[in-house]
Amino acid sequence: MEAKIGVFICYCGGNISDYVDCEKVREAVSKEPGVVVAKTFMFTCSDAAQEEMIADIRQKGLNAIVIASCSPKLHLETFRNMARRAGLNPYTYVQVNIREQCSWAHTHHKEAATRKAIRLVRAGIAKARLSVPLEPIKVKTTPAVLVVGAGVAGMKAALALADMGLEVHVVEREKAAGGWVKEWARVFPSGRPGEELINTLLKGFEERKNIHLYLETEVVEKRGSVGQFQVRLKGPQREQEVEVGAIVVATGFSPYVPKEGEFGYGASGVLTLQEFHALLKRGIEGRFVYAGREIKNVAFIYCVGSREKEERTFCSRYCCTAAVYLGLLLAETYPEVKQFHFYRDMRTYGKYEIFYHNCLEKGAIFLRFEPPDVPKVEVAGERFFIRVKDRLTGGEEVEVPADLVVLVTGMGLGPNENLVNVLKLPVGKDGFFNEVHPKLRPVETVIDGLFIAGACQGPKNIAESVTSGLAAAAKTGALLLQKELRLEPLVAHVLKERCTGCGECVAACPYEALSLKEEDGKHIASLNPALCKGEGACVPVCPEEAIEIWGYGHEQIRSMIQGLCKEEL
Amino acid sequence: MIRVDERLLESLAKDKDFNAQACFNCGTCSALCPMGLGLLPRELFRYVLLGARDRLRELSDVIFSCLLCRLCEANCPRGVRITHNIRTLRSYLVKDEYRIL
Repeated sequence: MEAKIGVFICYCGGNISDYVDCEKVREAVSKEPGVVVAKTFMFTCSDAAQEEMIADIRQKGLNAIVIASCSPKLHLETFRNMARRAGLNPYTYVQVNIREQCSWAHTHHKEAATRKAIRLVRAGIAKARLSVPLEPIKVKTTPAVLVVGAGVAGMKAALALADMGLEVHVVEREKAAGGWVKEWARVFPSGRPGEELINTLLKGFEERKNIHLYLETEVVEKRGSVGQFQVRLKGPQREQEVEVGAIVVATGFSPYVPKEGEFGYGASGVLTLQEFHALLKRGIEGRFVYAGREIKNVAFIYCVGSREKEERTFCSRYCCTAAVYLGLLLAETYPEVKQFHFYRDMRTYGKYEIFYHNCLEKGAIFLRFEPPDVPKVEVAGERFFIRVKDRLTGGEEVEVPADLVVLVTGMGLGPNENLVNVLKLPVGKDGFFNEVHPKLRPVETVIDGLFIAGACQGPKNIAESVTSGLAAAAKTGALLLQKELRLEPLVAHVLKERCTGCGECVAACPYEALSLKEEDGKHIASLNPALCKGEGACVPVCPEEAIEIWGYGHEQIRSMIQGLCKEEL
Repeated sequence: MIRVDERLLESLAKDKDFNAQACFNCGTCSALCPMGLGLLPRELFRYVLLGARDRLRELSDVIFSCLLCRLCEANCPRGVRITHNIRTLRSYLVKDEYRIL
């Protein structure tokens, strides 16, 4: 088909035209083969300009357009939508960036900026000339979700998803649902036992027919892609396969376990935060006794296994508030027990600050240390002596006697290698799973249809874990409640007649979108378009030029280079 | 080195109005003290909180020099009852340390 291209050049109100002679660009490119109309506008993104371009597309029967303006980050979708409104396939639209990549970059050399703009627009025209109309890839969605991990985040996500009408399969590795929260004696800010919280959620599970809980079960295999995953689950008795449209990973954290001798750990009477919870949970009647001895003084040492120099550099967020809150409960139950809190920085952020003040008012004594001067725990028979350079006493050394030492231990990510391998979860430097964007896309991963929620994404308290679980549920629901997904068609495609089945592209693909399949008696590369991100690692490794990305074909790229290098200006 | 004296802490805990622990070390009291005492209220309270009995004995001159003018107390952002606390300390020194009464 003969190309009929419209070229529209934007002044950007001076952002471009102050440095690039837009009229000269228009003149230079108007004679390019296939160009039917070439115009300039003060703002191509303005409604008036868009209406004029739409009229041109319709009246002149254009089959491709080039807009030379800003970065496609800003207006690619704007102009794709405009093309759609004009009845033109949006993938025959090419955006040329002559602002960020030309006028703004070359403010010192206007004449050269104009020459560069001409070359860039020519390349865009060359690309548009060979552009092909594309349709979004359509994927039917399975209205079911797999939630991995039945802790507080996973359970809340499951309940929310069930209420959207989706089938929810919840997989838990342990013998019971509830995660760490179930183990905790009392949780802030309500002061309720963690178990109570979990029982409420479990009751919600029982009331809903579309939640299926699999205990002592692990995920052993995953196939398929967004909208249509097949997952194999291995339970205590049997293996089974479930069909789901999306996966929510909410595997939580593993508490830091101190090394033998770290702050006296290993001696009877030195407990981690979890062990202290277990002690409180067993219930103490009458006097405060541990291992047969009466406890008069308790020392809390903060930041154990958090905020370290090399590894575990993160703050575990929940532990300051947890320790202060337990201190407060302890002071209410045993006002005569003296408390000494050895802390680095008190991070009882937000509404939890009140607990710190209340704990202070109850008479707990806070001593502040700063590495490398960390507290030293001396074990002396059944007692402990903790020495520290207290910053609040001008760095004087203070010795505190204690009967019980609680190490306020932080979070880490548990042994999850199998799950990471099966689901191809992106793992960050700290060992937690990585989101796409820490602020704007906090529960999505680089893998479409795979979401993360709760403390497996980074340290969180219960409230934050629940928020994140609900966020993941909302994102999953928004995905699956569309019965059909429309994915970006700018993905790879294999030119079957050229492919020799060497497998280079299969090895290069980071998303496992390519595989070798037998077709007409020979092995050739085959693509799952729903897994392909169109990032192109496969293209340069192919010795036969048998794979290319739609919208970035070999011929298109070659003609763009021709356009860029053309000599007469 | 300061050795935390549990007996002193217990003795002070009996006085329900003693509230030095509310202090968060801002230093308003130190800036306002008309006596320019060698030891400032917040430092004194820190020693008391820690049960630094030896320090308390060494500092008895300072504790008895306070005018009880309450300039610091009126301006304390944490509502520490500074003069009441000083009186408690005097009473502790007289009764428990010097055994005068």
